[in-house]
Amino acid sequence: MTKVRQLPYGEPAEKGLNVRLVMEEASRCLLCEDAPCSHDCPAGTDPGRFIRSIRFRNFTGACKTIRHNNILGASCAEICPQERLCEKACSRCGIDKPIQIGKLQAFAMEQERLLGLKILEAAPSCGKKVACIGAGPSGLAVAAELAKLGVSVTVYDENEKAGGMLRYGITPSRLSDEIIDQDIKAVESLGVKFELSRRIDKNELDKLVAQYDAVYVGVGLSASKMIPNLKGTDLKGVETALAFLKRARIAGGKIEDLGRVVIIGGGDVAMDCASTAKQCGAKSVYVAFIETLETMPASKRELDYIVDLGVPVIPAFKPVQLNGEDHVTSVELAAMEGNSKITLDADTVIFAVGQKVQDDYKGMTSDGKIFVGGDLANGGKTVVEAVASGKDIAGEIAKFLHI
Amino acid sequence: MSKKIDLSIDFLGVHCENPFFLSSSPVCHNYEMIAKCFDIGWGGVFYKTVGILGMNECSPRFDIVRKEGTPFVGFKNMEQISEHTWQENAEIIKKLKHDYPTKVMGVSIMGANDEEWALLAREMTKAGADMLELNFSCPQMTSHAMGSDVGMNPELVERYTRVVKQNTHLPVIAKMTPNITHIEDPSKGALRGGADAVSTINTIKSICNIDIENLTGKPVVNGKSSISGYSGAAVKPIALRFIAQLKQDPELANLPVSGIGGIETWQDAVEFLLLGAENLQVTTSVMQYGYRIVEDMKDGLANFMEAHGYTSLRDFIGKALPNVIPCENLDRSFQIIPKIDLDKCVGCGRCAISCFDGGHQAIDFDTKTRKPTITDKCVGCHLCLNVCPVFDCITPGEIKFKKGCEPHDVKRQHCYYA
Ligand SMILES: Cc1cc2nc3c(=O)[nH]c(=O)nc-3n(C[C@H](O)[C@H](O)[C@H](O)COP(=O)(O)O)c2cc1C
Ligand code: SF4
Ligand code: SF4
Ligand code: SF4
Repeated sequence: MTKVRQLPYGEPAEKGLNVRLVMEEASRCLLCEDAPCSHDCPAGTDPGRFIRSIRFRNFTGACKTIRHNNILGASCAEICPQERLCEKACSRCGIDKPIQIGKLQAFAMEQERLLGLKILEAAPSCGKKVACIGAGPSGLAVAAELAKLGVSVTVYDENEKAGGMLRYGITPSRLSDEIIDQDIKAVESLGVKFELSRRIDKNELDKLVAQYDAVYVGVGLSASKMIPNLKGTDLKGVETALAFLKRARIAGGKIEDLGRVVIIGGGDVAMDCASTAKQCGAKSVYVAFIETLETMPASKRELDYIVDLGVPVIPAFKPVQLNGEDHVTSVELAAMEGNSKITLDADTVIFAVGQKVQDDYKGMTSDGKIFVGGDLANGGKTVVEAVASGKDIAGEIAKFLHI
Repeated sequence: MSKKIDLSIDFLGVHCENPFFLSSSPVCHNYEMIAKCFDIGWGGVFYKTVGILGMNECSPRFDIVRKEGTPFVGFKNMEQISEHTWQENAEIIKKLKHDYPTKVMGVSIMGANDEEWALLAREMTKAGADMLELNFSCPQMTSHAMGSDVGMNPELVERYTRVVKQNTHLPVIAKMTPNITHIEDPSKGALRGGADAVSTINTIKSICNIDIENLTGKPVVNGKSSISGYSGAAVKPIALRFIAQLKQDPELANLPVSGIGGIETWQDAVEFLLLGAENLQVTTSVMQYGYRIVEDMKDGLANFMEAHGYTSLRDFIGKALPNVIPCENLDRSFQIIPKIDLDKCVGCGRCAISCFDGGHQAIDFDTKTRKPTITDKCVGCHLCLNVCPVFDCITPGEIKFKKGCEPHDVKRQHCYYA
């Protein structure tokens, strides 16, 4: 019997808790004074407070706490690395194991969806106008915080749908369209407008700067890096992680002919490519990276997830060249230490070796009416940190606009 | 909290910003505590019962009933009334009323004879109380001329209530004991004596646990223990029952009630209000979790009201009373047969065990497939549904009318959140 987990594309990777299990989990919470979990949420979501509301059966109140503090509360519940943030700080670790804070947050956000709660509403106008470039996590957070102050905000994004990396950089089994849409709806309920499928280049940026009282540039790191000087990266069948994840999301997982897939990279994005390739019916999937299992950047949860799906990982190997005439046929890997070599047959090679800023925005920093933040400023971190950065920058912009 | 929702209520002519009060107990026995609870958002307090002299208390003085993993299902205390003298308490009350003029200062008092009741009534009125609550119900007083021994005697209740009414212009609430079969009798005594309202319940006489090595009850006070008052979540059903009994008695129906006993969540609060309580008092859950629980009580109550289209508490106070009817009047013409969702069933067999050993042998459990089937022996008692550990696995199903009974619409229980 196979020990490998079968999970169709887009099916949730983890099951949520039902109300009975949620009450059990919430009653495990120690309801700490000055809760350590709340201190360790970068975005200030305040789990100590919303868990208390759940414990005392005020589910709507829990939703209010989450939404007011973290505009992407539904997405964060699913994809935050809780094990190194709030849950790591949890006092209950000293007794047995931490409270499953992410799961409780997901339950509260599920209530918001099921009960159709409308928690946020548009504030009276303060007469100011701000444009946000990029509908990713930090752009959405900046937009929401400013809208709460009565700023009229328009968010521009080159993609057809809002969400940025939430939508196009994470696989839907970990973060579904439904949940992203729920968060976007919360932003919209504050009166924020979206201009989608609109790429803002340098030229247009200047126009926006003239038109608006301030412009936030939160375009993130939406271009993929490649390994420089590696032979064969121009072959057919070679693509970047973001391009691959995006085309899978748009096609709903229906991409054929992946054949034998090799993924280069050891971060969460590489793990997402691996599970996605597997779920899209690749004949075989390997993940190779230069780090060791101890030092690889992906979270343990992500690594375990792809191992469960039956993806073999090859740590501490680097690609030395890609072979093929017109289309890639194999990848040669060499051990980081010693002389071991591996050649893997491949029809598709995906590079998930980091992201960089698009050329238009290279080297841009905050200046005058222009504010720069999110991954663009901090070099690429988690969604919850992008929300935190967005909240901070909204504060700076508000100060600049004297509101 | 939503702007449209108004949680305020006039209780006995006193404006209360919300119905949540601390009940008379150690949760409100000095200035710092009450100031903090007001700051956090409680509408008012019933100040820890003031007597003539301060009490001499024992240690330890608490015990709990724990049920696998859930501490504090019920709570037992061996405390009496205030440890301060009435003069000390009068000073505290005066200062609180001065610093928190919009909050409601109820003051609980207890005397041992006419003179003491009269003095306490006069002095607490002078100190600035907004209402007086007469403690006829503490079950562990060291004097039999005080507490629930008085509260079980309608004549004494009437007499002391009258004495108090003659010595104050304030609204007077008689706090009744549940250690009695008919709470209506002493309550009628209070009404005759001029009480403006009753509050209930005080604690229930109990022994929670026996120390089987020391051969006495718990808590153990130098090798001995006493019967004393039980409170907390476990007593809520008894409190609700007494309140329904009071509100359904024709003579007492118009006597306002302040509800007490096991209130912990907004949902508990709504239940008391639906049975006619106009004011709510809390002790045990505050002792366990702190004053902060009022935040979710208020917000949760407002959320409930908003979801149901209520704008003020009076929109639904007492709304459940007409539907609490004598057993003989229940519709007995049908059975609701449960249905089992076999996809959810984990095959534990608990439903079958309970149905056989505690019911009607109506579940066949296939030991090979480990799946239960409900047979036509089922009487619709719903024991299985309450026993099944899986959420939403066994649910109410088909309605079967008994022989000769005309089919009609049947209102089912609302499964809020299991
Ligand atoms: C430790 C303790 C002390 C109490 N002291 C008093 C008191 O002095 N006067 C009084 O009227 N009731 C007293 N009570 C009873 C409470 O006010 C209340 O009626 C009872 O505990 C039920 O409510 P609960 O379940 O919210 O605790 C006391 C209860 C406890 C637990
Ligand atoms: S730190 Fe853990 S136990 Fe304490 S409040 Fe937060 S979740 Fe609960
Ligand atoms: S709770 Fe406070 S007063 Fe009571 S025993 Fe503990 S430390 Fe002492
Ligand atoms: S109690 Fe529930 S889970 Fe267990 S066998 Fe019966 S139906 Fe199945």
